[in-house]
Amino acid sequence: MKEIITLTKLFINESLGVSLFFYNQKYNKKEFYKQLFTLIIVPVALIPAFFMYVSLMSATYFGLTLINQTSVFLSIGYILATVLIIVFGVMYILSEFYFSDNIEELIPLPISQRKLIISKFLSILVFEYIFAAFIFIPILIIYGIGQGMGLLYGLLSFLVFLTIPVLPLSLMTAVIMLIMQSASLKGRKDMLQIVFVFIGIAVIFTVQFWFTSQLGSGDEADFQLLMNTILTNNEGLLNSIGYLMPTSFLMAWTLNKITLISLGWVASLLGITLLSCVLMVAIGNRVYLKSIVSGKIIKKGKQLSGAQRSKVLGKKSHGAMAIFTMDLRLLLRTPVYFFNNVSVVIIAPLCILLSVSFIEIPPEDLQGMQEFFRAMPILMNFLLIAFFIFFGGTSATTASTFSREGKASWLTRMIPVTARDQIVGRTGVAMFIQSLGIVFTIIAVQFIFPLPLSTLVITSILGILGSLPILLFGLFLDMNRPLLNWDNPQKAVKNNLNVVITLFVGMAYTGLLIGVSGLLGYFVNPILGYVIFVLISAIFCVVFYQLINRRLEAEFLNFES
Amino acid sequence: MLILEHISKTYGNKNEKAVDDISFEVYPGEIFGFVGPNGAGKTTTIKMIVSLLAPNSGKITINGIDNQADILGAKKQFSYVPDNPELFEKIKGIEYLKFMADVYQVPAAERQERIERYLDIFEIKNAVNDPIGSFSHGMKQKLALVGALIHDPQLFILDEPMVGLDPKASFELKKIMREHCDRGRSVFFSTHVLDVAEKICDRIAIIKKGKLIEVGTMAEIREKAGSQESLENIFLELTE
Ligand SMILES: Nc1ncnc2c1ncn2[C@@H]1O[C@H](COP(=O)(O)OP(=O)(O)OP(=O)(O)O)[C@@H](O)[C@H]1O
Ligand SMILES: [Mg+2]
Repeated sequence: MKEIITLTKLFINESLGVSLFFYNQKYNKKEFYKQLFTLIIVPVALIPAFFMYVSLMSATYFGLTLINQTSVFLSIGYILATVLIIVFGVMYILSEFYFSDNIEELIPLPISQRKLIISKFLSILVFEYIFAAFIFIPILIIYGIGQGMGLLYGLLSFLVFLTIPVLPLSLMTAVIMLIMQSASLKGRKDMLQIVFVFIGIAVIFTVQFWFTSQLGSGDEADFQLLMNTILTNNEGLLNSIGYLMPTSFLMAWTLNKITLISLGWVASLLGITLLSCVLMVAIGNRVYLKSIVSGKIIKKGKQLSGAQRSKVLGKKSHGAMAIFTMDLRLLLRTPVYFFNNVSVVIIAPLCILLSVSFIEIPPEDLQGMQEFFRAMPILMNFLLIAFFIFFGGTSATTASTFSREGKASWLTRMIPVTARDQIVGRTGVAMFIQSLGIVFTIIAVQFIFPLPLSTLVITSILGILGSLPILLFGLFLDMNRPLLNWDNPQKAVKNNLNVVITLFVGMAYTGLLIGVSGLLGYFVNPILGYVIFVLISAIFCVVFYQLINRRLEAEFLNFES
Repeated sequence: MLILEHISKTYGNKNEKAVDDISFEVYPGEIFGFVGPNGAGKTTTIKMIVSLLAPNSGKITINGIDNQADILGAKKQFSYVPDNPELFEKIKGIEYLKFMADVYQVPAAERQERIERYLDIFEIKNAVNDPIGSFSHGMKQKLALVGALIHDPQLFILDEPMVGLDPKASFELKKIMREHCDRGRSVFFSTHVLDVAEKICDRIAIIKKGKLIEVGTMAEIREKAGSQESLENIFLELTE
């Protein structure tokens, strides 16, 4: 037990850089104050986002009381929390378990595999509890107050909360371990492993959505009916997945109406959670270290003939293009980078697509929705624009562009590439990934309701333009304070406060931008809304472009000191 | 070709100068060796020349271009291979070479001709399609050398180039350095291998604790030291 706690602390320290923080306090004051500043500014920046979330959820609850459907409220929150924990958790699990270099140092030590797995899992769990608290506790409180619940509700909801991150995370960990095992044993390349993981995640999501779509209003009779249909329709399916996700029902039964039976439900919820942890550790104990050891071989390429070499080398490209290609390759080929910066453009549209295919919207409702949006195209457009900016802004690709190069960044600083080419190349990569997200989203949205070409063109262009200031802001940050001294690529993106700052500043900025131009567009004149949007974006672009363009070469000289 | 005037540099600790008021000149057509004990300030000096660090004071001119006034212009004049070239592990050798050729805007015909020649010389032709992560230390160094030679720089700067190279490669590298200078270009490199410095360098600078203690041809250094001994012995005496 002591060993597990020590290891867990070590992993948390490592991913947060606690030791470095105190080292800086003693020996590097400048760096220390920078860190301290971000430590204060990040929570402050979080407050409005959190406030917005709480009011959105309160509004949802209020909406549900109007149609007498409050019983689904907790289920919505539960599923939201679970899905978010899975989406973010995959990244954490993969980087903590598979792409972190500390494993190589730990393997030779006399620590049992089981302890290693448990402590790594716990170190992830700590972060996920904080995350889950922000997402799920407001929901529990809103419902509790709304329904006038008492002390027992408080106790039970606390127990439910305890299980929230554990269950999806342990199951995800088990799945990922199995996937990585089969991927690494065959000497697959990084990219293929990623594909495997995505397929696994897609399966999980399918299951999740399938169940929730069958959930209906979430009451008992429906579930019985559902179970019956499953049983009669497809026995095999039930066996394999039936026990995987019924927990949202357990949660709902526990908390929707507080009776004595609630205690039984919560006990089974806790039991299932514990069981899934045991399962995860048991699976890990069989496959984890084996696949780590065999996964370290780098696959070599085919030998090239002289003609092939000259074909590759013969094409001369522009400096900006060279930077673009290099940055993109690093992003796609380094798994951690891929997960942090690219995966969201695949996962988000996939979620849309899956939710559409599993939640059957009655045709007349769909038509109603379509007519509603057709009557107010500006609403639909700004909604889509916000979603597209989300791809550009949240992945914060430019905010770690220099950091990601780490110790090889001497090359970037030594070569004679103009600041303009650096900006174009690096921002271009972020825009390219964002464009993929936009294309995927458009394809997915077409399934719900086909949008006119004009909408697609306007939203794509404005979506990219609107996120450009955020991208340049990220680049500006990374130019000023790159994180280069890492021994493990996950630190370049995970421990990088540039990313966090860009994320929050980007969200706040997007909210304001969309809010102001959307309101103007809606209440005054649609054209005015778009014009304001373009104007604000263009101004910020020019400002940040000039700032970077002027300073970049000089800042390169400061990267090492 | 390369002129350093009163260059000084301190890292964090303000009282300890890593490089202390260094001035010297590298002429066109010469191989210039830079020697000194560990921690003397060789790498620091080189980093200031190649614009990886800013000096606290002083001026560096490369082929007539002030490297603080026109950073980009100065960068085009040289190429640099660090003592431990960290390269992008996920990138293939050939992709790295194409990148270097592109950023220095080397014309298609020349880049192909040069890359083929140097790949042959350093015998890494067969590995060029592999990710750099699978390269051995010496192979990485060879790839960095090929990448640095693609644009046929006016000034070729190397930090400890002989460490890690096999005998054949270090022989070939010395030959390349000589040929480079015979065409009127210059080579500036730091080394701990004093025999090499003595044999191939036209002039040598000795640095100790950030201060330049000797600059000149082998003959000049011998004369000053008042002995006909090898560079090794003189070095040991001077850096006592
Ligand atoms: N990043 C740094 N931060 C603080 N001090 C540094 C840094 N890099 C070098 N130094 C200090 O500067 C001095 C000169 O170091 P430098 O690397 O230039 O030596 P060197 O001559 O290249 O040595 P070697 O032969 O071992 O390569 C040393 O005292 C070293 O401790
Ligand atoms: Mg050195």
